[in-house]
Amino acid sequence: MPGADAFLRVEHLSHSFGGFKAVDDCTFEIARGSISALIGPNGAGKSTAVGLIAGALKVQSGRVFFDGQEVTRLPAYKMARRGLLRTYQVSREFPLLTVMENLLVPPPDQRGESLLNALFRPSVGRRQDAALASRAVDVLETYGLLPLRDEYAGNLSGGEKRLLELARAEMANPKFMLLDEPMAGINPALIARLDGHIRRLRDQSGITFLLVEHNLDVVERICDQVVVMASGRTLAEGSMAELRQNPEVVRAYLGGGLDERAVG
Amino acid sequence: MDLILPYIATLAIFFFVYNILTWGLNIQFGYAGVLDFTFITFVACGAYFSGVFALGPGQKSTGFEWILGLSWPFPIALVMGALAAGLLGIVIGLIAVNRLRSDYMAIVTLATGTVIYGLVSNYTPLFDGFDGLAGLQTPFSQWLNINYNQFTYLWVGFCAVVMVICWFIAQRILNSPLGRTMRAIREDQEAAEAFGKDSFRVRLIAMSMGAVLAGVGGALLMGFIGAFNPAGWTSGETFVVWAALIVGGRGNNWGGVVGSFVVAVLVNEATRYIPPIPGNATLIPTVRNMLIGASLIAVLWLRPEGIIPEARRRFYQLPLLPGRRTPAEGMGSAGS
Ligand SMILES: Nc1ncnc2c1ncn2[C@@H]1O[C@H](COP(=O)(O)OP(=O)(O)OP(=O)(O)O)[C@@H](O)[C@H]1O
Ligand SMILES: [Mg+2]
Repeated sequence: MPGADAFLRVEHLSHSFGGFKAVDDCTFEIARGSISALIGPNGAGKSTAVGLIAGALKVQSGRVFFDGQEVTRLPAYKMARRGLLRTYQVSREFPLLTVMENLLVPPPDQRGESLLNALFRPSVGRRQDAALASRAVDVLETYGLLPLRDEYAGNLSGGEKRLLELARAEMANPKFMLLDEPMAGINPALIARLDGHIRRLRDQSGITFLLVEHNLDVVERICDQVVVMASGRTLAEGSMAELRQNPEVVRAYLGGGLDERAVG
Repeated sequence: MDLILPYIATLAIFFFVYNILTWGLNIQFGYAGVLDFTFITFVACGAYFSGVFALGPGQKSTGFEWILGLSWPFPIALVMGALAAGLLGIVIGLIAVNRLRSDYMAIVTLATGTVIYGLVSNYTPLFDGFDGLAGLQTPFSQWLNINYNQFTYLWVGFCAVVMVICWFIAQRILNSPLGRTMRAIREDQEAAEAFGKDSFRVRLIAMSMGAVLAGVGGALLMGFIGAFNPAGWTSGETFVVWAALIVGGRGNNWGGVVGSFVVAVLVNEATRYIPPIPGNATLIPTVRNMLIGASLIAVLWLRPEGIIPEARRRFYQLPLLPGRRTPAEGMGSAGS
C-alpha cells in the first residue's frame, strides 16, 4: 500500500479529547503533485486530523510521514519549515497588521529576523523586504486584494479574510498546502477563480494540495483523489465518481445529514 | 534659579530613565505580547549588578557585604548591569514563555519575581539583603572635580545619550522583519507558528532585549542615587511602568514617551505638593498610586489603544486607487 511517491502518509492516527475519540485509527495517503480532498460529515474529525498532521495538536497514537520522512509529533513551526502550509477553518489573520504586512510574515528564511541584523544591519532586512513586497503586490493583485493592502487585516470582511489566507499561503512558498475549508464564505464567481489558482499553483509550482471541503462541485472539478472520513475513521478513498457509487459513503455523507455521533 | 535648575534636572533624569523602561516593556509586551509582570526585577538586576561592578569590595566585618566589588568605571559597570539583566531575561523567559501555555506567562513571571525578591532581600552575601547597596562614589568623580549640582547636570546629559542609544535599539527592532514577526506572534501565536516562526525563540529575544533596557534604566538610577535596596523595587513599581505603557500607547515608542511623561513626571510631581499630614506618612504614595490607577482606567475606557496608538505601517507606497474596491471587483467578476 505505501506508494513510493506518497507525499503525505497517515497511519493509524488516533486522537481523543478527554475520552471522546475525534480521530480513530485514520489511515490514508496523498500522492505527490495531486490535488486531493478530505470530505466527511460535520464532526467527522477532519480539522482534528489537519491539526495532527500540521503539528498543532500532539499525536497520541499513530504515525505521520511527510516527504519521505517520519514527522510524528514535530512542532508546527518545524512542519512549516519542511514545506507544509496549513490554513485554518476559521481565518487566522494577524488583525493589527496591515494586509501587506500579513503577506510579509510568511516567507521563509528572512535574514532580517536575526537580532544582529535587526540591530546592526537594518539594510539587510529592508532589501529583502523590498523584494518580498513587490512579490506580495503581484500576489495581492491575483487575489484582488491590492486596494486593501494598507487596511488592517482585522477590518476585512469574512470573504476577504479567506482570500488573504490563500494569499499568505502562497507567500510561504510551501511544497504542500493543507487547506481547511478554503472556500467557505466565498461567493461562487470567486470560487471558480480560486479553483484556477489552485490548479495553477500545482501545475507551475508543483505544490501538492489536500483540501478539506464541503463543496462537492469544487471537489469534483479539481480533485484527483478524495478521502472520506466519518466518525474519525477513513471510510473510503477514490475519485468522486467512484465514491458516488459507494453505498457506505452515500449513507454517511453524500445522502445528507450529520454524522450521527456528532449530534448524538 | 539655584533651586529650580537642579529640580528640573532631576525630573529630566527620571523622565529619561522611565522612557527607557517603557520602551523595554514595550519590546516585551507591545511588540511580542509577553505578559511580563515582574519587569522591575530586571530594573533591579541592572541596578544591583552595575552597583557591584562599580563599588569597592564589601566587607562582612563592616556590615556591608556584596559580591564582586570590582571598582570598575561606571559606564562599563552599566554595560555589565544591562548584560546581567538580559541574561536574567533569558532565564525567566525559559521558565515563563512556554510555547503552549501563553496564558500562564503573567502568573509565572510574577511568581519568579517573587522568588528572586525573597532571595535577594534575605540572603545578605549577595547584595546586602534588606539594607541593599550604598555608598557608590559619584560616577565620573574619579576624572572630574565637580560638585553635586554639576554632577546632576552631567547625569542629565549622560542619561540623554544612553536614552538615544536605547531609542535606536527599540526602533530598529520594531521596524525590522524581527519586529514584524514579534507583532505577528503577539496577534496570533499559533498562526505565526504555522508559518514556521519559532515563537519561543522570538519571545525569548523580546524578553531579553526588554530586560536589557530595563537593566540600563536600573543602572542609570543606581549611578544617580548611589544606593539601591529592596524597598525600591516592590511589585508596585512594575505597575507604574505598565501604567505608563498602557496610558501612552503600546506598540510604538512615542507612546512610551508620552506615558512616561504623564505617569512618571506629571503624576509623580503633582503629588509632591500635597502638604504632609502629621501621622499619615503614607498618604502621598497612596494618592500617587491612586492617580496612576485612575489615569489607567480613564485611558482604558476612553482610548483603549493609548494616547498614541500603534501606527499603521504603510509599507508599500503605491498611488492609491480611487475608492475602496471589493476583491470581487478587483478580480474582474462581481456577484454570483
Ligand atoms: N478541542 C476539542 N475539545 C473537545 N472536543 C473537540 C475538540 N476539537 C474537536 N472536538 C470534537 O471532535 C470532533 C471532530 O471535530 P473536527 O473539528 O475535527 O470535525 P470536522 O470534521 O472538522 O467538522 P466540520 O466539518 O464541522 O469542520 C467533534 O465532535 C468536535 O466536537
Ligand atoms: Mg472542520
